[in-house]
Amino acid sequence: MKKKNEEAMSVPMSSMIDVVFLLLIYFIITQKDEISEAHLAVNLPAPGSSKPSDTKPQLLEIEVHENMYSLRGVALSLENLENTLAKFNDPDLTVIIKVSIQAKAKDLVSVLDLCQGAGLTKMNVVTLR
Amino acid sequence: MKRNEEELQTPITSMIDIVFQLIIYFIVTSSVDKDMVDETIKLAEATHSPAVETTDPRMVVINVNAQGKVNIALQPLNMKQLEQLLLAMKVQSGNSVPILIRCDGNTRFDYVDQVMQRAAKVGLYRVRIAAMVEG
Repeated sequence: MKKKNEEAMSVPMSSMIDVVFLLLIYFIITQKDEISEAHLAVNLPAPGSSKPSDTKPQLLEIEVHENMYSLRGVALSLENLENTLAKFNDPDLTVIIKVSIQAKAKDLVSVLDLCQGAGLTKMNVVTLR
Repeated sequence: MKRNEEELQTPITSMIDIVFQLIIYFIVTSSVDKDMVDETIKLAEATHSPAVETTDPRMVVINVNAQGKVNIALQPLNMKQLEQLLLAMKVQSGNSVPILIRCDGNTRFDYVDQVMQRAAKVGLYRVRIAAMVEG
Protein backbone atom coordinates (compact mmCIF):
# COMPACT_ATOMS: atom_id res chain seq x y z
CA MET A 1 0.00 0.00 0.00
CA LYS A 2 2.71 2.40 1.00
CA LYS A 3 4.84 1.43 -2.00
CA LYS A 4 1.99 2.08 -4.47
CA ASN A 5 1.29 5.55 -3.07
CA GLU A 6 4.89 6.58 -3.35
CA GLU A 7 5.09 5.45 -6.97
CA ALA A 8 1.88 7.29 -7.85
CA MET A 9 3.27 10.48 -6.32
CA SER A 10 6.63 10.38 -8.03
CA VAL A 11 5.28 10.62 -11.63
CA PRO A 12 3.34 13.94 -11.46
CA MET A 13 6.01 15.60 -9.35
CA SER A 14 8.74 15.30 -11.98
CA SER A 15 6.58 16.73 -14.79
CA MET A 16 5.36 19.46 -12.46
CA ILE A 17 8.93 20.36 -11.68
CA ASP A 18 9.72 20.51 -15.41
CA VAL A 19 6.84 22.87 -16.04
CA VAL A 20 7.63 24.98 -13.00
CA PHE A 21 11.23 25.36 -14.18
CA LEU A 22 10.00 26.38 -17.61
CA LEU A 23 7.72 28.97 -16.04
CA LEU A 24 10.55 30.20 -13.85
CA ILE A 25 12.90 30.58 -16.81
CA TYR A 26 10.21 32.35 -18.82
CA PHE A 27 9.52 34.83 -16.04
CA ILE A 28 13.21 35.51 -15.51
CA ILE A 29 13.66 36.26 -19.23
CA THR A 30 10.61 38.51 -19.48
CA GLN A 31 11.49 40.36 -16.26
CA LYS A 32 14.69 41.64 -17.85
CA ASP A 33 12.78 43.35 -20.67
CA GLU A 34 10.82 45.48 -18.26
CA ILE A 35 12.82 48.69 -18.64
CA SER A 36 11.17 51.77 -17.29
CA GLU A 37 10.95 54.65 -19.69
CA ALA A 38 10.77 58.39 -19.19
CA HIS A 39 8.83 60.45 -21.69
CA LEU A 40 10.32 63.89 -22.19
CA ALA A 41 7.74 66.32 -23.50
CA VAL A 42 8.83 68.89 -26.06
CA ASN A 43 7.02 71.47 -28.15
CA LEU A 44 7.70 71.84 -31.83
CA PRO A 45 7.70 75.17 -33.63
CA ALA A 46 4.51 75.77 -35.58
CA PRO A 47 5.29 76.58 -39.19
CA GLY A 48 4.57 80.22 -39.97
CA SER A 49 4.26 81.24 -36.31
CA SER A 50 5.91 84.50 -35.30
CA LYS A 51 9.48 84.20 -34.13
CA PRO A 52 9.68 84.25 -30.34
CA SER A 53 12.96 86.15 -30.49
CA ASP A 54 11.35 89.54 -29.67
CA THR A 55 12.46 91.08 -26.39
CA LYS A 56 11.63 88.38 -23.93
CA PRO A 57 13.91 88.15 -20.94
CA GLN A 58 12.61 84.81 -19.66
CA LEU A 59 13.91 82.89 -22.62
CA LEU A 60 16.73 80.41 -22.37
CA GLU A 61 18.58 79.30 -25.45
CA ILE A 62 20.57 76.10 -25.45
CA GLU A 63 22.43 74.93 -28.50
CA VAL A 64 23.21 71.26 -28.94
CA HIS A 65 25.92 70.09 -31.28
CA GLU A 66 27.57 66.72 -31.34
CA ASN A 67 29.09 66.37 -27.85
CA MET A 68 29.04 70.14 -27.47
CA TYR A 69 26.55 72.34 -25.69
CA SER A 70 26.20 76.07 -25.35
CA LEU A 71 23.92 78.14 -23.17
CA ARG A 72 23.11 81.65 -24.41
CA GLY A 73 26.10 81.46 -26.72
CA VAL A 74 28.61 80.25 -24.11
CA ALA A 75 30.06 76.79 -24.67
CA LEU A 76 29.64 74.55 -21.64
CA SER A 77 30.27 70.98 -20.63
CA LEU A 78 27.31 68.86 -19.60
CA GLU A 79 28.25 69.18 -15.89
CA ASN A 80 28.51 72.96 -16.12
CA LEU A 81 25.23 73.09 -17.97
CA GLU A 82 23.60 71.14 -15.17
CA ASN A 83 24.97 73.51 -12.53
CA THR A 84 23.93 76.57 -14.49
CA LEU A 85 20.45 75.26 -15.21
CA ALA A 86 19.91 74.59 -11.52
CA LYS A 87 20.00 78.38 -10.95
CA PHE A 88 17.02 78.91 -13.26
CA ASN A 89 14.50 77.11 -11.13
CA ASP A 90 11.47 78.68 -12.77
CA PRO A 91 8.84 76.41 -14.34
CA ASP A 92 7.52 79.28 -16.51
CA LEU A 93 10.85 79.82 -18.17
CA THR A 94 10.72 78.94 -21.84
CA VAL A 95 13.68 76.92 -23.01
CA ILE A 96 14.56 76.88 -26.67
CA ILE A 97 16.82 73.99 -27.56
CA LYS A 98 18.47 74.41 -30.92
CA VAL A 99 19.76 71.10 -32.13
CA SER A 100 22.23 70.62 -34.94
CA ILE A 101 21.26 67.91 -37.42
CA GLN A 102 24.71 66.40 -36.86
CA ALA A 103 23.96 65.83 -33.18
CA LYS A 104 22.90 62.46 -31.84
CA ALA A 105 19.53 61.82 -30.25
CA LYS A 106 21.27 61.07 -26.94
CA ASP A 107 22.74 64.59 -26.87
CA LEU A 108 19.25 66.04 -27.07
CA VAL A 109 17.92 63.57 -24.52
CA SER A 110 20.64 64.44 -22.01
CA VAL A 111 19.84 68.16 -22.32
CA LEU A 112 16.10 67.53 -22.00
CA ASP A 113 16.83 65.35 -19.00
CA LEU A 114 18.88 68.12 -17.35
CA CYS A 115 16.11 70.64 -18.00
CA GLN A 116 13.61 68.28 -16.44
CA GLY A 117 15.92 67.78 -13.49
CA ALA A 118 16.21 71.57 -13.07
CA GLY A 119 12.43 71.88 -12.85
CA LEU A 120 11.95 73.48 -16.25
CA THR A 121 8.80 72.45 -18.07
CA LYS A 122 8.57 74.43 -21.31
CA MET A 123 11.07 72.89 -23.68
CA ASN A 124 10.95 73.77 -27.36
CA VAL A 125 13.05 71.99 -29.93
CA VAL A 126 14.27 73.88 -32.98
CA THR A 127 16.51 72.44 -35.67
CA LEU A 128 19.73 74.15 -36.68
CA ARG A 129 20.59 73.82 -40.34
CA MET B 1 -2.48 -3.18 -16.12
CA LYS B 2 -5.31 -1.53 -14.20
CA ARG B 3 -2.86 -0.05 -11.76
CA ASN B 4 -0.81 1.53 -14.58
CA GLU B 5 -3.83 3.36 -15.99
CA GLU B 6 -4.70 4.84 -12.61
CA GLU B 7 -1.18 6.14 -12.18
CA LEU B 8 -1.24 7.89 -15.54
CA GLN B 9 -4.55 9.66 -15.14
CA THR B 10 -3.58 12.13 -12.46
CA PRO B 11 -0.54 13.88 -14.03
CA ILE B 12 -2.17 14.35 -17.46
CA THR B 13 -5.06 16.50 -16.23
CA SER B 14 -2.80 18.79 -14.23
CA MET B 15 -0.35 18.98 -17.14
CA ILE B 16 -3.16 20.01 -19.47
CA ASP B 17 -4.25 22.70 -17.03
CA ILE B 18 -0.76 24.10 -16.86
CA VAL B 19 -0.17 23.88 -20.63
CA PHE B 20 -3.41 25.76 -21.29
CA GLN B 21 -2.37 28.42 -18.78
CA LEU B 22 1.00 28.71 -20.49
CA ILE B 23 -0.64 29.03 -23.92
CA ILE B 24 -2.99 31.75 -22.69
CA TYR B 25 -0.10 33.56 -21.01
CA PHE B 26 2.04 33.47 -24.18
CA ILE B 27 -0.83 34.71 -26.37
CA VAL B 28 -1.59 37.61 -24.04
CA THR B 29 2.02 38.73 -23.57
CA SER B 30 2.98 38.40 -27.24
CA SER B 31 0.17 40.67 -28.41
CA VAL B 32 1.13 43.29 -25.79
CA ASP B 33 4.79 43.17 -26.76
CA LYS B 34 4.03 43.59 -30.44
CA ASP B 35 2.60 47.10 -30.34
CA MET B 36 4.89 48.37 -27.64
CA VAL B 37 8.51 47.54 -28.18
CA ASP B 38 11.02 47.49 -30.97
CA GLU B 39 13.78 45.50 -29.33
CA THR B 40 16.48 46.76 -31.69
CA ILE B 41 16.25 50.30 -30.35
CA LYS B 42 18.55 51.24 -27.50
CA LEU B 43 17.12 54.37 -25.93
CA ALA B 44 19.34 57.12 -24.59
CA GLU B 45 19.60 57.17 -20.81
CA ALA B 46 17.99 59.73 -18.56
CA THR B 47 19.02 60.15 -14.93
CA HIS B 48 16.91 63.09 -13.72
CA SER B 49 13.53 62.32 -15.22
CA PRO B 50 10.86 60.23 -13.55
CA ALA B 51 9.73 57.01 -15.18
CA VAL B 52 6.23 57.07 -16.59
CA GLU B 53 3.67 55.00 -14.77
CA THR B 54 0.62 55.26 -16.99
CA THR B 55 0.49 55.85 -20.71
CA ASP B 56 -2.35 57.22 -22.77
CA PRO B 57 -3.90 54.36 -24.79
CA ARG B 58 -4.21 56.70 -27.80
CA MET B 59 -0.45 57.29 -27.81
CA VAL B 60 1.22 56.88 -31.20
CA VAL B 61 4.61 55.29 -30.70
CA ILE B 62 7.04 56.04 -33.52
CA ASN B 63 10.22 54.00 -33.50
CA VAL B 64 13.29 55.46 -35.17
CA ASN B 65 16.29 53.15 -35.26
CA ALA B 66 19.97 54.10 -35.41
CA GLN B 67 19.92 54.04 -39.22
CA GLY B 68 16.96 56.40 -39.34
CA LYS B 69 14.41 53.78 -40.37
CA VAL B 70 10.95 54.54 -39.04
CA ASN B 71 8.38 52.02 -37.90
CA ILE B 72 5.14 52.01 -35.97
CA ALA B 73 4.30 48.76 -34.19
CA LEU B 74 7.14 47.13 -36.17
CA GLN B 75 5.47 48.15 -39.44
CA PRO B 76 8.05 50.02 -41.51
CA LEU B 77 6.87 53.35 -42.89
CA ASN B 78 8.26 55.97 -45.19
CA MET B 79 7.79 59.66 -44.45
CA LYS B 80 4.71 60.02 -46.64
CA GLN B 81 2.99 57.07 -44.99
CA LEU B 82 3.94 58.44 -41.58
CA GLU B 83 2.35 61.77 -42.41
CA GLN B 84 -0.83 60.12 -43.61
CA LEU B 85 -1.00 57.98 -40.49
CA LEU B 86 -0.46 60.98 -38.21
CA LEU B 87 -3.14 62.90 -40.08
CA ALA B 88 -5.54 59.99 -39.66
CA MET B 89 -4.76 59.84 -35.94
CA LYS B 90 -5.35 63.56 -35.61
CA VAL B 91 -8.72 63.36 -37.36
CA GLN B 92 -9.68 60.43 -35.20
CA SER B 93 -8.46 61.61 -31.80
CA GLY B 94 -8.01 65.38 -32.11
CA ASN B 95 -5.06 67.67 -31.53
CA SER B 96 -4.25 66.20 -28.14
CA VAL B 97 -3.22 62.81 -29.49
CA PRO B 98 0.11 62.08 -27.76
CA ILE B 99 3.08 61.19 -29.91
CA LEU B 100 6.04 59.33 -28.53
CA ILE B 101 9.27 59.17 -30.48
CA ARG B 102 11.35 56.19 -29.42
CA CYS B 103 14.65 56.95 -31.06
CA ASP B 104 17.90 55.09 -30.64
CA GLY B 105 20.51 57.03 -28.67
CA ASN B 106 22.80 56.96 -31.68
CA THR B 107 20.24 58.17 -34.19
CA ARG B 108 21.37 61.37 -35.88
CA PHE B 109 19.05 64.22 -34.97
CA ASP B 110 18.49 64.68 -38.68
CA TYR B 111 16.20 61.63 -38.73
CA VAL B 112 14.39 62.60 -35.54
CA ASP B 113 13.89 66.04 -37.02
CA GLN B 114 12.23 64.59 -40.11
CA VAL B 115 9.70 62.79 -37.93
CA MET B 116 9.14 65.94 -35.87
CA GLN B 117 8.61 67.98 -39.03
CA ARG B 118 5.95 65.58 -40.24
CA ALA B 119 4.19 65.78 -36.89
CA ALA B 120 4.35 69.58 -36.93
CA LYS B 121 3.14 69.70 -40.53
CA VAL B 122 0.06 67.74 -39.58
CA GLY B 123 -0.51 70.10 -36.66
CA LEU B 124 0.70 67.98 -33.77
CA TYR B 125 3.17 70.22 -31.96
CA ARG B 126 3.52 68.29 -28.73
CA VAL B 127 5.66 65.23 -28.92
CA ARG B 128 7.48 63.18 -26.34
CA ILE B 129 10.90 61.64 -26.61
CA ALA B 130 11.44 58.36 -24.85
CA ALA B 131 14.46 57.79 -22.65
CA MET B 132 15.52 54.87 -20.51
CA VAL B 133 15.50 55.22 -16.75
CA GLU B 134 17.96 53.06 -14.85
CA GLY B 135 16.78 51.12 -11.86
